[in-house]
Amino acid sequence: MRHFVVVAILVIALSTLTYSGLMAANLLPAQASEQALPVDWLFNLQFITISFLFSLIVVPLLYSLIVFRRKKGESGDGVHIEGNTPLEITWTAIPLVIVMGFAYLGAYSLGETRRIDPQAMVVNVTAQQFAWTFEYPETGVVSDVLYLPKDKQVLLKMTSRDVIHSFWVPEFRIKQDILPGRTTEYRITPTLEGDYRLRCAELCGSNHAYMLANVKVVSRADFDAWMAARAEEARAAADTPEGRGKTLVTQNGCLGCHSLDGSRGTGPTWLGLYGSSVPLSDGSTVTADDAFIKESILQPQAKYVAGYETIQMPVYTFTDEQIADIIAFIETLK
Amino acid sequence: MKTMNPVWRGLALLLAGGISGYFIGLGLDTLVSKQVNFTAPLAGLFSLLGAVTAFFFGLVGYHGVTRGLVFQTIGTLIGGFFVTGIRALMGLETFGNFFFTEPAWVFGALVGTLSFLAGVGALTDWFKWALGESTPEHHEDEPGWKKYFQLSLDHKVIGVQYTVTSIAVLGFGGIFALIFRTELAASQLQFLTTTFQAFDQNGLQFYNTLMSLHGMLMIVSILLGIAGVMNYLIPLLIGAQDMAFPRLNAFSFWIAVPAAVLLLSALFLGGFDTGWTGYPPLSTRSPLGVQMFFLGVFVAGWSSILGALNLIASVVRMRARGMTAFRMPIFAWAAIATSIIALTATQLIGLSFQLVMFQRLLGMGFFDPAKGGNPVLFQHLFWFYSHPAVYVFVLPGLGVISELLPVFVRKPLFGYRWIAMSSLGIALVGFLVWAHHMFTSGMNEYLRVPFMYSTLLVAVPTGVKFFSWVATLWQGKISTPTPMLFVLGGIIVFLMGGLSGPPNATVSTDLHLHDTYFIVGHFHDTMFGGYIFPFFAALYYWFPKATGRRMSEKLGKLHFWLMTPSFLVLTFAMMRVGLLGMRRRIADYDPALGFDLSHLIMTVAAYLIFTSVVIFLYNFFHSMKYGEKAEGNVWESRSPEWQVPSPMPVHNYQHAFQVVGEPYDYGLPGSKYVEFMKSQEGKG
Amino acid sequence: MAHNKQSALQQGLIIFIFLAVLTALEFFIAIAMDAIALLILVALVKAGLVVYYYMHIYRLSSDDEENPESYRYKTGTNRLGLWLFLLSDAFVFGGLAVARFNLLGLTRPHLSQELGLLVTAVLLISSFFMNRAEVSMEHGDRKGFLVSTGITLALGLAFLAGVVGVEWPGAIREGVTPAGSAAGAIFFMMTGMHAFHVLTGVIFLLVILRNGARGLYSAEKHWGVEAATVYWHFVDVVWIFFYPALYLIGAVIVG
Repeated sequence: MRHFVVVAILVIALSTLTYSGLMAANLLPAQASEQALPVDWLFNLQFITISFLFSLIVVPLLYSLIVFRRKKGESGDGVHIEGNTPLEITWTAIPLVIVMGFAYLGAYSLGETRRIDPQAMVVNVTAQQFAWTFEYPETGVVSDVLYLPKDKQVLLKMTSRDVIHSFWVPEFRIKQDILPGRTTEYRITPTLEGDYRLRCAELCGSNHAYMLANVKVVSRADFDAWMAARAEEARAAADTPEGRGKTLVTQNGCLGCHSLDGSRGTGPTWLGLYGSSVPLSDGSTVTADDAFIKESILQPQAKYVAGYETIQMPVYTFTDEQIADIIAFIETLK
Repeated sequence: MKTMNPVWRGLALLLAGGISGYFIGLGLDTLVSKQVNFTAPLAGLFSLLGAVTAFFFGLVGYHGVTRGLVFQTIGTLIGGFFVTGIRALMGLETFGNFFFTEPAWVFGALVGTLSFLAGVGALTDWFKWALGESTPEHHEDEPGWKKYFQLSLDHKVIGVQYTVTSIAVLGFGGIFALIFRTELAASQLQFLTTTFQAFDQNGLQFYNTLMSLHGMLMIVSILLGIAGVMNYLIPLLIGAQDMAFPRLNAFSFWIAVPAAVLLLSALFLGGFDTGWTGYPPLSTRSPLGVQMFFLGVFVAGWSSILGALNLIASVVRMRARGMTAFRMPIFAWAAIATSIIALTATQLIGLSFQLVMFQRLLGMGFFDPAKGGNPVLFQHLFWFYSHPAVYVFVLPGLGVISELLPVFVRKPLFGYRWIAMSSLGIALVGFLVWAHHMFTSGMNEYLRVPFMYSTLLVAVPTGVKFFSWVATLWQGKISTPTPMLFVLGGIIVFLMGGLSGPPNATVSTDLHLHDTYFIVGHFHDTMFGGYIFPFFAALYYWFPKATGRRMSEKLGKLHFWLMTPSFLVLTFAMMRVGLLGMRRRIADYDPALGFDLSHLIMTVAAYLIFTSVVIFLYNFFHSMKYGEKAEGNVWESRSPEWQVPSPMPVHNYQHAFQVVGEPYDYGLPGSKYVEFMKSQEGKG
Repeated sequence: MAHNKQSALQQGLIIFIFLAVLTALEFFIAIAMDAIALLILVALVKAGLVVYYYMHIYRLSSDDEENPESYRYKTGTNRLGLWLFLLSDAFVFGGLAVARFNLLGLTRPHLSQELGLLVTAVLLISSFFMNRAEVSMEHGDRKGFLVSTGITLALGLAFLAGVVGVEWPGAIREGVTPAGSAAGAIFFMMTGMHAFHVLTGVIFLLVILRNGARGLYSAEKHWGVEAATVYWHFVDVVWIFFYPALYLIGAVIVG
């Protein structure tokens, strides 16, 4: 009897210690969405239960190892107890009730994360190896940064150009896979202004680690201002070849691999590319003229730049006019 | 050369074979590609094949496994050239980046596998039966250690073959992990960069290949390890002379060897970037290595299926007199539950991989949305096996824990019947939970909640085991030699795995955790707790039975105390960074996340675990020859195999036994479990 | 069950007649109405008849043999092994069926109904003769065994010719191709995997035909024959489900 009392006290003590430890460790990222609240609430409940169950097993186990240890020179066996049916029924029935309870709470919290706001703003997301593109259908603005207004539900309609990807911002909590040939939906209501990173969360090939995009949650006013500026930019861009070219490369994920600032990405940088001498994987060099750039877009596997032999660039189909615009844009990057 | 110690001879030839294979492969590649590439895929592949084949040749000569490997190489070439020839006749491309084209490699690999089996002799008796010839019922093995490298019908030899092969595969998987863990120790790429080149892969691609193979090699290692333990023990525990189908048993082991070769060849044939899960559409466009991966798994699956068939038939049909269902050793229940899953569900991973293979080879659009296919279908088919599979991995280990606790606690196994039923319960419920791997997949919304309920339900029979184990310890007389340490370690580590389950089982929290390091921590805990720790426990425990010697207690304790804290630290760190935003299957992570220290700790822990395993290996092989003699009932167990001297006689029990009491009645004076019958009554 | 050869053969015939009638029934149900549940029920009844009467599954539990060293006991163990193998194999076909319904739902590819019914009939008749062969062997009638096995073999080859030689090119002409659509892919994979099993069954029959001709089997010892027979009927049972799944259930995909 004494053993049970000691064990019970130790279980309570260890549970409390474990739970405090888990809380102190700050194991979750900042909460930046409305949907994060029910998720974190459930995490907390799980941490409590885990702390308790951990102690419930570990304490009697370690206690037994110490108190019921065979002492040196001692012979003989332990107590001949084969079982205890009421106890066994209890420790089957109570966990059954607990897990069913958790399942119920899980369903409830899932429902909470999926509340629909009919006024949600739609953003179309296109994922591809290895870049993200965001299109705002209301204004036609296309961006490679996901701007979101605070406290407004956004409905992301997502599709992939190639393989399965997944949309995840840890601070938002919810995750959703993105499939080719289908549109999957993702509703989120950001609640904390700030800069976040969107990271692809389904292995999608060699550069999966780098399939990232910036997410900016801003005030309503700032969002509207940004949107207006981008819409104006798009309108103006439509007037010039290089402007149209820049829109095209933003819309089609090119900037996910080709940097504009000289940094090395999945693909060669475009800064200073036009007219330069490009070393190829077979040892020869070519001049990056119109013909070369056009070929690189339409038949990317025809020539490989040295150092990029094993990268598979997607095959694009652009019209000659679109290609001319893109080349015009690249030309401006000196 | 002839008088050398075979091991040294083998190692010398390994070097020679590796080097010559390298140059042969390099030569072939240069012929086709017209340029010299020192990390040519074919050079690497032939180097591996040459090294391994030459090693075995040095060790045992042109018999058994050596013959098998030679046949496999020749068979692969024949199959490959056959398809190449047909393609030439059809006006199609004949050679590719990796010498043969993909269809030629796939067909060649298949022919190579069958050739291996023919070469090692695993098909001979069956061919004879088909031709109407009879064969002797028993094959006598040659005495000494050479029999382990050849076809044997003795379940004990096969058990050892499985176990040692499992450890070898574990070694490869572990080394691959160390390589990429070294890269991950700090953020940003240190050596697996985009300028790194090996076997047609850059650093990032090579990372994906190593990571993917790590997963599958570990899985295959587990399947081989549980087969080893079950095949060695089950006939001994049920009082049989051998398994129900000894030739099938040998076949099941030997088919796993070419499977392992195929998996390793993926490394050299362009690698693959899909993880062990092989999801299309990514796997449809992966390099050639993915086909070797698919085929290797397909072939390994046959080993698992047929081994399970054998176990079920043996336990049902070959038990000793008086051994009713609830008087079987508890490990037999674990083996049955495991085998029910392995027999049936495994076919689904075979099917899912087969469909992707055909999608690649013939353009069949099962998973291609452009042709009306459905990528999520693959996930359903795949996980229908791959979830129950994890119970295949852990049920035997949990059975070992239940089997060993009473011996070291000198008390009955608490709630034997409930523990027996819990194994079946886990197996059955385990079939109903697969879509919890697909909560974010875009599958039908309404499926998520039911699968959450079924998944959480598995916690109930699992809990029964934990509570029963604790109750077994309570009021016992506990001693803690090395096997018991690993049993206890297994319980604690598996507990961590089990407790990290419910957050994944619950949909809303899983939406955060899916595809993060939290999952990685969860399954490493469950795999180590449910398999690795009990596997070591079983090896330390039954080593005397198999060899008549003991392993070193001191080194065993060192192994345990080095491995266990390191492992717990490793998985805590994994779960921590996962919760905080670390995705899985990435070669590099953002320094701004602040995970560098955690990753460094994980890498150090991984090296410590590896070191502890090296210590174990030294202990294991050294003790076989130099261990302290231990020919009696070392652990004072009631189990039948310990009532006869060690090492176990070739035909197991000279006199049959019958069951006259409960298996775990420790502490009940005068009680007996088995009684050996006089020679007239039993089998001689 | 039946104890003398005549009544055993008669039972085999009666079962075959049931199977034939049920097949005709399902064919007409499919034409007349959209009754998927009914088609599944008919398939289950047909399968049940074959599994019980032709594959004699009840023999798994009828072993009263005590001596574990006896031929009878070992045959019982072999029998369990065979059924475990079939259980495992069934999961492949189950998986294919799941794939079919996931990909095509309640639609089906456009195939030749006449050909489908014909090959189905051929396979069912082959099971009839397979049963006759086994009954003959069980009663020591070697000649009857050889003739019936030979006919089964021929019908098996006819099935393969019908599916691979006629149906496949026909489907391709209709636009149902392996690489063209998911419907084509699943049709060719299902019929292909089934045909592969028919082929291995044919090889198995060749083995027992040859060994039977050399007098290796007797009424008391003919495990090879029982195994080949049960395997052959299993392959028939798979087709009992695949036939409605591919030819009868759902609306035809137009275009």
